[in-house]
Order: sequence, then C-alpha cells, then structure tokens
Amino acid sequence: MIYTYAFVAIAACVAIERFHNRRAKTTIVLLLAAFLAIAPRFYGNDAVFSVLADAAVYVMLALGLNIVVGFAGLLDLGYAAFFAIGAYTYGMLASPQFGLHLPFWALLFLAAALAALFGALLGAPTLRLHGDYLAIVTLGFGEIVPQIFQNLTKYTGGPNGIAALDVPTFFGHSFGASVMPYYYIALFGIAAALWISRNLRESRLGRAWMAIREDELAAKHAGIDVLRSKLAAFAIGASFSGIGGVLFAAKLALVSPDLFGFQVSVLIVSMLVLGGMGNIVGVVVGSLLLTIVNSALLPQINSLVDAAFHTTVDLSNLHFLIYGAILVGIMLFRPEGLLPNRERRAELHHAGEAAGDA
Amino acid sequence: MRSPRIAALAAILLLASPLAACSSGPAPASTTIGIGVDLPLSGADASVGTSTLDGIKLAVARANAKGVPGGFTFAVQALDDTQQGVHNPQQGASNVRTLIADDSVLAIIGPYNSNVAAAEIPITNQAGIVQISPSAVSDGLTLGKDAAMLRRANPGVNTFFRVCTTDSRQGSAAARFALDLKLKRVYIVDDNETYGLDLANVFARDFTKLGGTVLGRDHIAPDTQDFKALLLKIKGYKPDFIFFGGTTSTGGGLLRRQMFDVGMGKLAFMGGDGIPDIAEVAKKRADGTYYTVAAPNADLLPAAKRFVAAYKAKFGSDVGPYSANAYAATQVAISAIEQAIEANGKKMPTRAEVLAKIPRNAKNEVLTPIGPISFDKNGDVRKPVISLYAIRNGRSSFIEQLNLSE
Amino acid sequence: MHEFLAQLANGVELGAIYALIALGYTLVYGILELINFAHGDVYTFGSFVALGILVGLRAAGVLHGAGLILGIAAALIAAILASALLNAGIERLAYRRLRKAPRLAPLITAIGVSFMLENLIELWQGSAPVPFPNVIPNPQLHFGALEVGVQQIVVVALAIATMIALHFFVQRSKLGKAMRAVAQDRDAASLVGINVDRTIAITFLIAGALAGVAGFVGGVSFGSAWFLNGFGAGLRAFTAAVLGGIGNIAGAMLGGFLIGMLESFSTWLIGGQWSNVAVFSVLILVLVFRPSGLLGETLPEKV
Repeated sequence: MIYTYAFVAIAACVAIERFHNRRAKTTIVLLLAAFLAIAPRFYGNDAVFSVLADAAVYVMLALGLNIVVGFAGLLDLGYAAFFAIGAYTYGMLASPQFGLHLPFWALLFLAAALAALFGALLGAPTLRLHGDYLAIVTLGFGEIVPQIFQNLTKYTGGPNGIAALDVPTFFGHSFGASVMPYYYIALFGIAAALWISRNLRESRLGRAWMAIREDELAAKHAGIDVLRSKLAAFAIGASFSGIGGVLFAAKLALVSPDLFGFQVSVLIVSMLVLGGMGNIVGVVVGSLLLTIVNSALLPQINSLVDAAFHTTVDLSNLHFLIYGAILVGIMLFRPEGLLPNRERRAELHHAGEAAGDA
Repeated sequence: MRSPRIAALAAILLLASPLAACSSGPAPASTTIGIGVDLPLSGADASVGTSTLDGIKLAVARANAKGVPGGFTFAVQALDDTQQGVHNPQQGASNVRTLIADDSVLAIIGPYNSNVAAAEIPITNQAGIVQISPSAVSDGLTLGKDAAMLRRANPGVNTFFRVCTTDSRQGSAAARFALDLKLKRVYIVDDNETYGLDLANVFARDFTKLGGTVLGRDHIAPDTQDFKALLLKIKGYKPDFIFFGGTTSTGGGLLRRQMFDVGMGKLAFMGGDGIPDIAEVAKKRADGTYYTVAAPNADLLPAAKRFVAAYKAKFGSDVGPYSANAYAATQVAISAIEQAIEANGKKMPTRAEVLAKIPRNAKNEVLTPIGPISFDKNGDVRKPVISLYAIRNGRSSFIEQLNLSE
Repeated sequence: MHEFLAQLANGVELGAIYALIALGYTLVYGILELINFAHGDVYTFGSFVALGILVGLRAAGVLHGAGLILGIAAALIAAILASALLNAGIERLAYRRLRKAPRLAPLITAIGVSFMLENLIELWQGSAPVPFPNVIPNPQLHFGALEVGVQQIVVVALAIATMIALHFFVQRSKLGKAMRAVAQDRDAASLVGINVDRTIAITFLIAGALAGVAGFVGGVSFGSAWFLNGFGAGLRAFTAAVLGGIGNIAGAMLGGFLIGMLESFSTWLIGGQWSNVAVFSVLILVLVFRPSGLLGETLPEKV
C-alpha cells in the first residue's frame, strides 16, 4: 500500500517534470493533491499514513535544505541541528518537562523563527568560508547541537529525551492517537514549502542565489550583497527544518538526541543529490524514495523477500550494504540525480566542471 | 535516454506494491498467529539484537513443535528499528503500527531500548495489544507519572510489560553488593545513554545513602575509543573501584581493558546487566569485574541450563546477553495466547482476550530460564531477584543474590 | 604537573593516530577535492587485517622473541598493503567514473561506499568490538614527573616515522612531484606528460597505506577494533585535516596532534561528554578567524 502511494506520487512528479505545458502541470498537481487527500478514506491503514506523514516531513526538510545547497550552493552537512532545534522547541514548551503547554500552532511559528535565528547566528561569522570549509563548520555545528541536548540533562531530559509530549488540538478538538491529522498537516506543509520554494527561485533573492552559486566574485561585482543573500538562504532553509521538527516531535510525542545525529544530515543531503539538486520536483522524488527505502523497504525486507520467493532468508544484517549500494548505484549511473535541474545540466555540459563551490 | 530508466524504476516500485500488500495484509492462512517483534537488527546493536531475536525464535519454534491448541502455528514477524545504523524511536513507532495493522499479530516482543519503548507504548496502549520488552529498563516506562502519561490514551489499561528489571532495582542492589564486598569509595562512569546514565544515577544515589562515598562522576561521549584520558583523571582520586553504567560495546569493554594500560588493572570494576559479555572484549583483563543480572543463580535453575543447551544446539553460538530474557518474554506471550485460544473455544482470540491472560499472580506464573514470571499492576516482574556475578579466570561465577520482594 | 604530563602524553598518542588518518583525507582532497568519507572505514579495515594476522600468529604460537618482532612487522605490513589496495580499489570502481560529475556526486558515492564497507566489515567480524591482541609489552617508564608506557612510545614513534617517510616521498620522489603537479592543475600536469589516472591511483594507495599504519597503531593503542571505529575516528581526523588547512600535509599532522590533545585535555578538565563539543567548537572558532585553517593558504578567488 505504501508503495502504491509512493508510486503515484513519484509518477506524478516525473510527469510534471516531463510536461512543458503549464496547464498540464497544474492539472497533474491538482489531481495528485486530490488523490492524496481523498484516497486515505478508501485505502490504507495507520501504519501506511504514519510512514507517509514521516516521509512528508522529510520532503519538507529536503526542500528547506535545497534552498541552502541547491539554490545558493552552500554545502550544509549539519542540517539536522535545525531539525533538532525545532523538535526540542516543541519538546520543551509543550510537555510536562517545564509544565508549559504552549499550543502546537504557535510553536510551529516559534520553531521556524528560532531555527532561522540559529541559522543566522551560525551563518553570520562563517558564511564567508569557502565551499568545503563551510561544509565542515556546519558538520561541526550538527555534532554540537544534539550533544548539548544530550548533556544538559536538567533541561532536556538528557539521553532519555522528553516523552509524552502534548497532543495538538485543532479548534479545541484533540488530534487523539490518529496519525491522519499529521498526514494532512504535512501535506499542507509540503504544498506551502513547494509554493515558497518556487516563488523564491523566481524572486530577486533567488536570482541572487543562482548568481552566487555560479560565480561568487562576479555576483559581488554585479552589486549583489553576497553575505546577506547567503544569510537569507541559511535562515529560510533552517526555518523549514524548524517547522519539520515540530511536526516530527508532535507526531512521535517524543524527542531524544539520537534522532538528530550526523546520519540524518547525511540522509537529507543524499535525498537532494539523488533526486537532483536545485530541482524542486527532483528533490521531492529523492526524499520520497529514500524515506520509503529507509522506513518501509529495509525494515520489512525479510518479509517482502520471503513472501516473494517463499524463502526464509535473513537480510536484516545487510541493510547498510543495500542502502549504500543504492546510493552508489544511482550516483554512478545518474551523477546529476534522477531528475536533474535543467539549468545545472546545461552548465555541466557547457562549462565542464568549473561550476563553482557547490 | 532518461525515460527508460525512470520507467524501470517505476516498474520496480509497481512490482513491489503487490508484494507489500500481501506481507502487511492479512496472513496467508488464518491458522497463523503472528508474534510481532521490534528490535534493532542492524548497525551497532546488531549482535545483541540478533541474539535477542534468536531467543524469541527458539521459544516460538518450541511452542510450534509442542503443538498449539486449535491447530494454530506461531510465526515470528520481526522488524528492524534501526535507521542509518542507530536504533530509532520513530522507526520503532512506525514498526509497531505496521504490526498492529496486521490482524494476525496478537502480541509484540520488544523493543530493546528504553527511548524506543517510550515512543511505542502510547501506540500499543491505544491499540490494546500486549507488548513485552526483554530489556527496556528505564523506570519511567512502567512507574509513576511518566508511565501514566505514556498510557494517557487508555488510562485504565496497561499493555506494556517487561521481564527485565528496572534501573532503580538494579542500581540499588548493586550499591548493596558493592558495600558487601567492602568497596567504599567509587568513581562512577556512564556512557551517557538512556540505560547507562539512569543506572549510574540510581547507583550514585543509593550508594551514598548506604554510606559509600562517590568521589566523582563522568559521562563519556559516543564513539570514544580512548579512555586513558578519563582513567588518568580517575587515578588521581584513588578509588576502591569504578562503577560503569552502560554496556560492553558502549565502552565497558574498552574501559576495563585500558585500565591496565594506565596501571589501574588491579582496581575492581562493576556494572549492571549490560556487561556480562565483557570478557569477550577485555579477555583476561576482565578478571576483577563484578556485574548484576536480574535473575536467580543460573546454575540452580534447570530451565536456564536447558535453555542454554537448546540455544547452542539450534544456533551454534553462545547465548547473547538478552537471549534468555527474550525467550522468557515470548514464553509469557505464547502462554497467554494459548490460554486465550482455549478460553475462546479453540478459535482465534482477540488482543484484549490475550491481554486478560497475562500472568498476574503466583497461581499462573510462567516458568522461564530467568525464573518464574508474573507481573505486578505496573507491568514489572512481581518477584524480582538480582544476582551478583564476578569474573574470575575469564569465567563468570555466581556470588550472591538479593530477593527484592522480601 | 604529574597529571598534566600524563594527559599530554596521552594526547600526543591519540593525536598521532588522528594525524595519520588526517593525512589520508588531506592527500585525497588535495588531488581530487573530494572528502573521501570511506577513508575512516579503510582505517577500520586495516585494523582488522592486523588483528587477524596477530590472532593467527598467536594461535600458531610464534609470537615470542624474534618471532614477536617479525610477527608485529608482518601484521603492520599486511595492514598497510590491504588498506592501500582497498583504497585504490574504491577509487577505481567508485570515484574514477565521477571525475567530471557534479561536485556532490562523488561525495554521496563516498558515503555510500562507507556504508557498504561498514556492513561488509560487520559481516566479517561481527558488530561487537573485537579485542586486539596485547602484543607490545607495556611496562611504564618514568622520566622525571612524566610516566609513559612502552606501547605509547611505539605508537608515536611509528606514526612519526611514517610521517617523515611521507614527507620525503612527496617532496623528493618523482611520483611525489607528479602528485603535487596533479593537485595543482590536473590539465597542465597531463599536458607535460604526467599520467593523471595513475598519479591519482597512487595517491589513493598512499592514503590507504597511511590508514593501514593508523589501523595498526590504533588497534594497539585502543586495544580493540570495531566495525564502526572508522566513523568517529574519521570524523575527528577529517576535522583535524580541515583545522590544519585541508590539502596541506604539515597542516594535517598539526591538526591531528591538536585534536588529540584537545580530546585528552577536555576529558580531563571539563568531562568526557563535552569532548566532541570542545573539538568542534574550537574548529568553528579557528575557521572564523583563519578561514583556510591554521597552515592553509588563502585560496585565490576564482575569476
């Protein structure tokens, strides 16, 4: 079932990418939205929508990181730190931890603001660093943040984290134990993230990012405020992650530091690169694909293989091998990602490898 | 050029979808009862996860061989809760939902880790399905306000049980054992993870209460390989022994081993049920290690000996640290399901009927390799026993046991 | 004072291991501008090869007297060869096709290779730490207030000897010069007749060999090998390479020793759980004030 939904969504994305007619694209988007909104009434169960809601959170994260890496060309290897900041905002302010029970909806905005603030705080002194140096600074930040959450036991619950977070309400109606509200909120979140991403890409800021990505020095000479544009990318990208964090924490009703390690940052970067960096639709496909592999295919691979071939093999000790092989395989055969960004593709073929620091 | 590959990808996904449908839909035959399992089966926890799963498989195989009332067969449905190599509460929650969505699954064994349990309990509580953990020891899963919050969807119902001990039981028993051994001045180290930190906290509290001296405490960072910096620091405090909260692989083995590299090899070393396998890493240097286990002396329990022999015969390897617990947890679940089948006229029982048959008192307790098991109202073992073992000449030997219910 | 010196010695020992791994990152980065994420796992692999040889020789009963020294040499050489070949093999199979691909494609490939290696090593050796035989006798020696183990001296001496050998190789040998030329400008180097593919392959061989030495001395120093060792050690070593100025050989050594001492002293003074925070905070601060690392050259901006 989960594969059916993933298939429909990915197929629709591929179709959107292949049609050039604006009206056709809009039609597909609307059809897909209608399908995702209505189909759950007829087909699927809690387990499926739980994975889909998680996948949707990852799509939001990937779209946020795409602004930083794909649009502005700044490699960020510590993006999970902002995810952690968002999640802990909910964990600390809507739980028995301090007896504070702020509303979910307000915390969505607060977390976005806080994540953006931390993005700017990290970015202000470090954004003038060149490509891989910036990558390692963000990596360091990504290591520091969950470690601090783990060490400050008094405030954050330490390694146990904080459990039994508040169940959100909507006009007085509690979400209860159902996963459907999270599914719909996450869908809405993706829609908003897509809309924002697209508008940003076409905006003046978006064009500034592209210019910086292609040639920072030329961009500077053309009068672009490089540092401010980069800061904006960092802060906006981080804010997506903050919102994703709140959704994630509220749905799981738990935050703990091991949920936000380096692996998560790497996972999200992999989603971008696999899907096709800079290309919004590609990023959606990449993140859906990897989440399905990670949260559905690999944990269930034994029963899948057994059912298909009537065997009883144990593949669980091969998860990393399979995951690694998927990453390597896709990169070797489609180095630009599954659905590459057309502009970048053109660059690659015209300008060779001198594409800059991305 | 681009489309054939994408078409191929689409075809793979399309092919996979009916497969998924048959695996997560109703079981192929209605005579199969699923024993759902959620454990970390890959990455860093793979070896303990796999040996724990083997304990479950053994219990299921024996129940099937013996014959299940009503002609049913049990089938293990094991899901892995690691993501990117680390046990992950989100994946655990997702796995439990998958198991619950399958109507043939009547009980869930797992998880291994406490923070995964904290994410799962609200879901199993809401679904009313029995869940028994072999190893999640954090107090708040069953006790006090924390546990009540986890059960808030269905406050009157408790579906979560564990055959292991709790941090507070084990930590306070360890404090008493240490003083019995005339060890009075301790330096406490933990791995800064759920199990280790909580165990160290309780030990520190009770050791001080009983008159011991805690000279200092330290927490280690993940992925640490060098413990000599820490040990050099501890050396200056001149403790009688080091207490370690954590497992062999989160630092226990290396810490013990490196004590010899800084001239502290003679010092006693103590920990909980996370380090019975310490000799596998520390080898001869493990001598002088004490550890506690939440079960009576294995040498005096015939069921324990039989279990160890059967396990070795089936899997050809030594029993893992939580294999016996997992076996016991599965025995309890199977016993409850079989009683429910009988009570239901040999027909498939509901999850609520299975829950009602979970042993609650001495009359219906289940005999397991870790002693007779029944649960109190919180879901903890009713007659907890903690045993102390020491490693001498590379082998574990029983020292004494403490009956906590007396 | 006594404890300060002991922590210093421990930091130097730890730093020597990080420096050897960091050199591998820096050599590869210097020539390909690739963060070779699989490098830490090559180090783990070397450690396990040495461990396997030592366990085998010990079982055969030859590890005493002259046999001990020969056995240690055999384990070290085997680790060096195995890691070198593995690293070069990875380059050939996974990275070579991606020379002209977008910058991040090889990075993700490297991450994928790292996952695969970790899984393969786990299948081979299990997921629990495996004890590394205590082959080097470790009596404590006293030099005034300084107390060090023989093992520590061997680890540091071996690491420093390796670094000196590397220095002469890169500065003096023809291959070393070719490496530097390719690192500076691949196209120009190929115009003057340098075989670029071969030079890159040799760089990976050397980086792998260094990881092999590190695997051996790491196994001796930590007393165990574990399939995930490469992740933590690799992360710190990579940080060391950047701290020193990535692509800069002396910088990688300096960075390695600094990170080792930082880890040792932060564990002593503020507690082990803060050591990672300390390491990465220092890294961020250093880069804020010296954007190209301690010994890195300021990159000319591309025009």
